[in-house]
Amino acid sequence: MKKIKKMFRYENVGILFVFPAFLYMLVFVGYPIIRNIILSFQDVGAGNLVRGTKNFIMFDNYLELFKDSVFKTSLSNTLKYTILCLIFQFMIGFLLALCFNQRFTLAKPIRGILLVPWMIPVTVTALMFKLLFATDIGVINFILRSLDLINKNIEWLTTPGTAMFALICANVWIGIPFNMILISTGLTTIPKELYESASIDGANKVQTFFNITLPLLKPTIESVLILGFIYTFKVYDLVYVMTSGGPVNSTHMLSTYSYKLSFEMFKYSKGSAVANVLLAILLVVGISYIKVTTSGEEE
Amino acid sequence: MKRKKIIALFAVLAMTASLVAGCGSSGNTGDSAASVDEGTTAGEEASVNEGSEEEPAPETESSGDAEAVTIWYYWETEGHQVALDQVIQEYNASQGNYEVTAKYVPFADFKKQLSIGASADELPDIAILDSPDHASYVEMGIFEDITGKFDVGNYYEGTVNSCTVDGKLYGVPFGVNCLALYYNEDMLSEAGCEVPTTWDELMATAKALTTDSVTGLALCSVQNEEGTFNFVPWLWSTGATSYDINNENGIRALSFIQSLINEGVMSKECINWTQGDVMNQFIAGNVAMMENGPWQIPTMQSEAPDLNWKVTLIPKDTDYSSVLGGENYAVINGGNVEGALDFLTYATSEEKVKFMMDKFGYISADKTIAENQFEADSPYQPFVEELNYAMPRGPLAEWPSVSDAISLAFNQVITGTATPEDAAAQAQATIDGIVK
Repeated sequence: MKKIKKMFRYENVGILFVFPAFLYMLVFVGYPIIRNIILSFQDVGAGNLVRGTKNFIMFDNYLELFKDSVFKTSLSNTLKYTILCLIFQFMIGFLLALCFNQRFTLAKPIRGILLVPWMIPVTVTALMFKLLFATDIGVINFILRSLDLINKNIEWLTTPGTAMFALICANVWIGIPFNMILISTGLTTIPKELYESASIDGANKVQTFFNITLPLLKPTIESVLILGFIYTFKVYDLVYVMTSGGPVNSTHMLSTYSYKLSFEMFKYSKGSAVANVLLAILLVVGISYIKVTTSGEEE
Repeated sequence: MKRKKIIALFAVLAMTASLVAGCGSSGNTGDSAASVDEGTTAGEEASVNEGSEEEPAPETESSGDAEAVTIWYYWETEGHQVALDQVIQEYNASQGNYEVTAKYVPFADFKKQLSIGASADELPDIAILDSPDHASYVEMGIFEDITGKFDVGNYYEGTVNSCTVDGKLYGVPFGVNCLALYYNEDMLSEAGCEVPTTWDELMATAKALTTDSVTGLALCSVQNEEGTFNFVPWLWSTGATSYDINNENGIRALSFIQSLINEGVMSKECINWTQGDVMNQFIAGNVAMMENGPWQIPTMQSEAPDLNWKVTLIPKDTDYSSVLGGENYAVINGGNVEGALDFLTYATSEEKVKFMMDKFGYISADKTIAENQFEADSPYQPFVEELNYAMPRGPLAEWPSVSDAISLAFNQVITGTATPEDAAAQAQATIDGIVK
C-alpha cells in the first residue's frame, strides 16, 4: 500500500502519463528507425532481403550516394522546395491572419473557409493541380492565353524548372491555412491593452506592428516556421502524384528517391541511406524546435 | 493533495481504458475491412451470377475446414477482377479442400507490398505479377520451384523464359500481350494516308494527321517500367538491344522519338500519360495513332463503340519489333503450396484460360490456344501476328535498374534535357555498371 502510495506521488504521476506514449513511440517509431539505420549500413538488395547473409559495408552506401547525381538533385530540390514554400506560405499566411484578425462581418466564416485547403487530402490537391497545370487542357494555360500573356501553351509539368514551380505553388496553397491559423491564434494572445496604450501614445499602424505585434509573436513565428519546415521537408504524396520525381528526375525529393530506390529498384540499403539523410536533417530541426519552445517557456 | 491523487488515478484509469478501447477499435477496423471485402465479393458474385445462373451458391461449400489460399493481383480493370473472381468462385464450389480468395493491390504498390511481405513473412500463396519483375523475386527466394509440375511445352518461348531462372521453372505464364499501333481509320482516310509500315512513313503520316486539336501519335512515356515497355519496341527495331544502346542504332531510336516531339506530331505531355491515359486521348479524338496493348480493346469497345479504329504492326526501322508483356502466376514458397498448385492446375486448364483471356482482352500464352482464339477479322488478330516479333524484357534480376536507365534516356530526349548521343552514353554507363 505504501509502495502504491509512493508510486502515485505527484512527481511520479507524470512518468505514468508519459509511459503509454513512450511505449507506443518505442515500438512504432523507435524500432523502425533503428532497423533502418542498421539496414543502411548493410548491402541488402533483392538477393538477400529474405535469405542469405547481409554484409555490413558500413558507410559505402552513403559514400555512393554523395557521388550519385540524382541524390544530389533530390537533396538540393528538397531544400529549395522547403525554403521557397516556407517563405511564401508564411508571408501570405501572415497577411491573411492580420486581415482576418480585424473585426468585420464575415471575417470568421471566411477564415473557416480558408482552412479547406489544409483539410483536403493531399492526393486530391495534387491531382487538382496536375490538371490545372496540364499543357493543353489546363486552366492556368487557358487563363494566360485568354489574357494574351502567352501565345504558346507553357509545358508546366514536362519541363524541369516549371515542374518545380508547379509543385511549390501547390504546396503553398496547402500550407497557407496552417500558417494563417497558428498566427491568428498567436495574435489573439497579445493583450489588447498594449494596442490601446500605444494608440493613446500616438503610435501609427506600422509602428504598432513592428514594436508590439512582431516582438510578441516571436515564439509563435518560430514554432510556425520550424513546424512548417518539418511538414514541408518530408513531402512525398504531393510530388509522387504530380510528377513522380520527373521529368528526368528533376523533381525528385529525398522521400520519393528513397522510395524509388527501395521499392522500384530493389536497392533497399541505398534507399534507407537516403531516408536516414532525411532523418538526420529533420532531427537537427526538431531538436532546435524543442530548444526554442522550452526556452520560450522559461522566460 | 488528496484531490490531485484521485484525479491522477482517474486519469490513469481513463488512459488504460482508452488503451483497451484502442485495441478494441483496431479489432473493429479489422472486422470492418473484412466486411468490406465480403461486400465487394458479394457484389461481384451478384454480377457473376447474372452470367451463369445454374452455379451453386459458393457459401455452402466454403464452410468446414477448407484451407485458405490467397492470391494477390494488380488489375484495376473491373472486367479483369470480375473474370478472375468468377474462376475462383467456380473453383471453390468445385471442391471442398481449399478456399481461394483474391486481394487487389494497386500496381504502384505491388512491388513494395511483395518486398515488405517478404521481409515480414506475410505473403500470399499465389502472386500474379508483371513478367519482367519475375526474375528479381526468384532471386529474392520467395518463389517455389515448380519445374515439371506444369506442361509449358506449348507456351510462347518468351513467356516461359520470363519465369525460368537457371533452367528451373518458377511460375506459369498467365497470359501474354504485346504492343501494336492503333490508328483512327476516319482520320487516316480524311488525310488521305496509307497505313504506315516504316518509320519514315509513320513520320509523314503523323505530320499529315496533326492539326490544331489533334496530335499524330501518342505513346506512354512515363519514366518507369510502363514507359520502358513502350520505348523498347523502337529501340529493338533498330537492332539495338536493351543492354547495348550507345551505338548508331540506339542513338537512331532516341533521335526518332525526339524528332516526333520536335516536329510537333507527339505531345510532350506523353511523359505524364499512362497507357490508360493514352487510350483515353485516343478515344477522345485528340490523338490519331497510338502505341498500346490489346487489354484496352474491351474498354474501347464499350466506351467508344462508334470510333472507327484498327490495329497494325508497329512501323519498323530495320525489323518489325514489339515487346512481350503480361503476367505470370507464381507460387510462394512456405505458403500453402499444395493448395496453390491445385488452384493453378484448375486455372490453367484450357477452358478456364479461354474464358479469362476472352474477358481480359489478353492472348493466351499457350500457342495452340492463341492461334485459334480469335476470328480472322477480330481486332485482336494483329496482336497475335505482332507476337511473332515480340521479345521479353530481361529476364534479369537487375532488370528494374536497366529499365530505369532506358526510360531515363528516352525521357531526356523527349524533354530536350540531353541530346540522343549524351542520353545513350549515359544510359550505357549505367547499364554497364549493372551488367558486366
